[in-house]
Amino acid sequence: PSSQPSQNRNSILVSHRQKGNPLLKYIRNVRWAFADVVCDYVLGQSSCALYLSLRYHLLHPDYLYYRIRELQKNFKLRVVLCHVDVEDVIKPLLEVTKTALLHDCTLLCGWSLEECGRYLETIKVYENKPADIIQGQMDTDYLSRLTHALTTVRHVNKTDVVTLGTTFGSLSNIMGASMEDLARCPGIGERKVKRLFDTFHEPFRRVE
Amino acid sequence: MVQFHEHIITELLEDSNGGLVVLSSGLSLSKLVSSLLLLHSSSEGTLLLLYPSSTSLKSNITFHLKTLNPQFNQIPAEITADLPAHHRHSLYSSGNAFFITPRILIVDLLTNKLPTSKIAGILVLNAHSLSETSTEAFIVRIFRSLNRGAYVRAFSDKPHAMVSGFAKAERTMKCLHVRKLHLWPRFQVYVSQELERDPPEVVDIRVPMTKYMVGIQKAIIEVMDACLKEMRKTNKVDVEDLTVENGLFKSFDEIVRRQLDPIWHTLGKKTKQLVSDLKTLRKLLDYLVRYDAVTYLKYLDTLRVSESFRSVWIFAEASYKIFDYAKKRVFHLVRSDGMKFNELSKGVKNKKRKSKGDDKDIEEVDGTSSSSSNALVLEEVLEEAPKWKVLREVLEEIEEERQKQGMLREELFAEGEDTDNGIVLVACKDEMSCLQIEECITNSPKKAMHEEWKKYLLNKVQLRDIVNKKKKPKDPKPKGFGILDGVTPITPAQNAETTSIGKQEHDALLAAASKLRNVSENDHVVEDTPQPDFGGQGRGKRKRKVGIRNVPIVLDGSGVQNNDKEEAVSNKIGMSDSKNKINEDETNPVSTARFSGTTDEGISVENIVLRKHTNTDVAARNGKPLPPVHFYALESDQPILDILKPSVLIVYHPDMAFVREIEVYKAENPSKRLKVYFLFYEDSTEVQKFEASIRRENGAFESLIRQKSMMMIPVDQSGHCLGLNSTLESDLNTPQNSVTRKAGGRKEADKEMQVIVDMREFMSSLPNVLHQKGMRIVPVTLEVGDYILSPLICVERKSIQDLFMSFTSGRLFHQVETMVRYYRIPVLLIEFSQDKSFSFQSASDIGDDVTPNSIISKLSLLALHFPRLRIIWSRSLHATAEIFASLKANQDEPDEIKAIRVGVPSEEGIVENDVRAENYNTSAVEFLRRLPGVTDSNYRAIMDGCKSMAELALLPVEKLAELMGGHKAARTLRDFLDAKYPTLL
Repeated sequence: PSSQPSQNRNSILVSHRQKGNPLLKYIRNVRWAFADVVCDYVLGQSSCALYLSLRYHLLHPDYLYYRIRELQKNFKLRVVLCHVDVEDVIKPLLEVTKTALLHDCTLLCGWSLEECGRYLETIKVYENKPADIIQGQMDTDYLSRLTHALTTVRHVNKTDVVTLGTTFGSLSNIMGASMEDLARCPGIGERKVKRLFDTFHEPFRRVE
Repeated sequence: MVQFHEHIITELLEDSNGGLVVLSSGLSLSKLVSSLLLLHSSSEGTLLLLYPSSTSLKSNITFHLKTLNPQFNQIPAEITADLPAHHRHSLYSSGNAFFITPRILIVDLLTNKLPTSKIAGILVLNAHSLSETSTEAFIVRIFRSLNRGAYVRAFSDKPHAMVSGFAKAERTMKCLHVRKLHLWPRFQVYVSQELERDPPEVVDIRVPMTKYMVGIQKAIIEVMDACLKEMRKTNKVDVEDLTVENGLFKSFDEIVRRQLDPIWHTLGKKTKQLVSDLKTLRKLLDYLVRYDAVTYLKYLDTLRVSESFRSVWIFAEASYKIFDYAKKRVFHLVRSDGMKFNELSKGVKNKKRKSKGDDKDIEEVDGTSSSSSNALVLEEVLEEAPKWKVLREVLEEIEEERQKQGMLREELFAEGEDTDNGIVLVACKDEMSCLQIEECITNSPKKAMHEEWKKYLLNKVQLRDIVNKKKKPKDPKPKGFGILDGVTPITPAQNAETTSIGKQEHDALLAAASKLRNVSENDHVVEDTPQPDFGGQGRGKRKRKVGIRNVPIVLDGSGVQNNDKEEAVSNKIGMSDSKNKINEDETNPVSTARFSGTTDEGISVENIVLRKHTNTDVAARNGKPLPPVHFYALESDQPILDILKPSVLIVYHPDMAFVREIEVYKAENPSKRLKVYFLFYEDSTEVQKFEASIRRENGAFESLIRQKSMMMIPVDQSGHCLGLNSTLESDLNTPQNSVTRKAGGRKEADKEMQVIVDMREFMSSLPNVLHQKGMRIVPVTLEVGDYILSPLICVERKSIQDLFMSFTSGRLFHQVETMVRYYRIPVLLIEFSQDKSFSFQSASDIGDDVTPNSIISKLSLLALHFPRLRIIWSRSLHATAEIFASLKANQDEPDEIKAIRVGVPSEEGIVENDVRAENYNTSAVEFLRRLPGVTDSNYRAIMDGCKSMAELALLPVEKLAELMGGHKAARTLRDFLDAKYPTLL
């Protein structure tokens, strides 16, 4: 497909091969249209997808390989969307994984047509989205940040964070608390006391 | 040594192959192991003790070795990663016994740093936590393949953990390659005979609970029952195990999780919530008998804040009663009629307050609450824990007896009979109860309650105040009264947000709190006026006691956190005072020393000796004399009985294992008189739980006995146990054969496959399984990736839980970023657990729309940003191993030296073979990296610039700016550290 009509810029292009695939029912949040394309789905300027049901793979083990071979190189992201629809997955999934991995494809697995459809939708919708939701930006309010930090200490839960906060008043005070003070907090047993205290007082590097 | 320990050891030594010993909890596993160590001679070879780093077992073993045989100078040392390799090698060949963690041992085994022929055997001290894929099993497998003659002796004193799961005992034995199972329940004939020959004198005291406690307990059980009924409705779990009795135990969570884990991702929110609610409820039930009324209320308050919006149980009908009764145990609200006021002032007089201050306060109460139409005031109830009073009575009784005997004893002394040292030991569940009960005895219960109450109220008020002032005095030293003096009136406007129902109560609480603060100033004056003289030394001690226990709370106004510093200060003042050796014994230094006692290498008696108080003054104040008392927290798990050799024991919180310890102690010291008091709350879940724990253990042993009779352990011709791999290997060969079918079924004589594995990955079981599959494992420290399969392929492994977490934290993004930078084929391995479902979520959870929080969105975004990233979806550990093998098939072997260098900043040079996780305080590093202002680029500099988190907390902004390379980041961090925690009210 050399020139795309402008209304197709915002929709998923579906190969005629996919006609009759029940998956199409589940592409609901994005428009889609049949088009003359080599891959199964064109999800954007630089991404495309092949659809494979594991059951089909068991019948035609070479199908995936041939499909990947005819894909052009002009897509940066080449997804193999694998519908896990068999019980005994280990062997077929191993084959699919190997083929995809060694032929520059990213494997995504869905356990229902709905989930597979959602992957296609999401990749289309997020085509130009920055990565900040997976870069660790989280809630910025004080309590969530405090909880986020303190729960790195094993076994410390949200309730404990509240307990520590109300008892000591601020994070620097929590960090300066003695073992005895920590032990006086309800719900904080010996183990947690020691873990907390060690986190704060043991040197970052144990060996110089 | 008790005789049945001798029996156990004789039986164990019969089989040179080793064996697995399971004994009842509390039958002193540490003593058993130390007796066994005494028999070890260095001519046999080195003995390695594997232990999980968290338990206190190690320190207990060391202690017993020292007491059993003071001349025995071979206290097992610990082999750690800090020792240089050649040093470790010489230790391994020395013939002594050593403690070692599985992670170091496996790495040394894999890198051939361990001369296996010099090893006599391995002791495994936590057999119940083993599985086929655990590192211990990995160690034994490699070890057995190199040295068949050595023994493996495994121990467990947690029988109930040995029966969880299918044929657990048999599988554990197979992976340890041992064939003998030795069962030593408490009801075993030798054990029971010996322990019951001369049992200690036992007094069982049933203390009735107060009306409200009974009410709360009933309500909690009601809610629990309701939750369990809900669980049953989901039809997802086996109904039989879902009883309230089971619900009392921690292991209940395990039962439920084991059933639900395979389908966990398909469960609805509600079911998941029910599971966590049941856990919360169990804690509430436990804390009801452990904590005092005020602390309990405080905990409930905290719970309400931290989980109200999601829990199911909080909205259950009966849980209203929990909150209501808990409150009623602490205070009433009374309408501010004239008459009630009188009542209030009466109550107030109990607190020994000057009436002048009183009037002023009441005015203030009026002032504050006038904003609400019908003003309410607070009346304290402060219910004391019923056990407190009983404990006191018991102590008085003990003292009376002592006095009587004292006269007799003087005569006995002449004959050299001094087995009765008169030490009284009170055993509580945790440190907190110890401190509190001590307080009740030294002061009065009433006083103890008031302290808690004051703290509770002041806590609320201070947090508010500080929010208003926004600034906290930087100087940690208490500056005195300057800040506290001014009466800060609480403006009603601040309360605006609180809801109308809670508002009056809230106002009343605040009023009481601010009143209390004023009072405390007056109080201070009162305390300062000379106390009636009790005469002599007693008085001096008393004075200091007051200084230590009361002053901080009285002065307290700049934050509860200051308590301690003040305590320390007043402590110092006390020290500079005249005679205060006793004082030193009584306060902070000792209690901290005791904590460190658990970690400390050399356990000396001084280190562990408990807080002890002499109490002439108390006696004087309360009329009846009390004996000196020691306190012990069961949690701290020390060989307390052997250290102190008490003659009277008061078990304040009954615990099965401790009861057994007492029995063993008595059996070892038959000539010693021992009297034991048990304090139970009548008709409480405490009793139920105690009895159920015995039943449960017996049940576990019965099942183990049955299993033992039907066990099938494969043995080879020379009588060596074959273990698991004989069966496993033939299994694993079949798929490989299909791959090699082109070669006509002939087994390929290919070279050994090699995988480079990051040291930190030895926490997981994958290296073990890869090794089972026949790959050579090369442990090194990797900066990038977890597994290097070939010069091109680098794998980052994520379990499902890790995957979700590291998406949230942004860690995964960063890891993938560096992998993509350095390797041709960067791979994310998503590893599902075999016994959990193979899918992220149930279809119904997918939702109608694309949402940023869904895992689908995150994975899609990751793929979009790193189109070169490959993803492996693996069903299980074993599936991963197969995938790895097939991916490596046509690739070159990875280069160890290159892999280590990848991603290491050049200025740091090449790090050689260090065990990173051992060298870093990993939780501190992770904690640091999560603080605002700290980034991937500056956290190393921060770690270089200060030693620990505690030190960081004290650094001024300027210094931080220097380390973090910018004022803005430093300011952000400093502000976060000092930010005031928002108040509960």
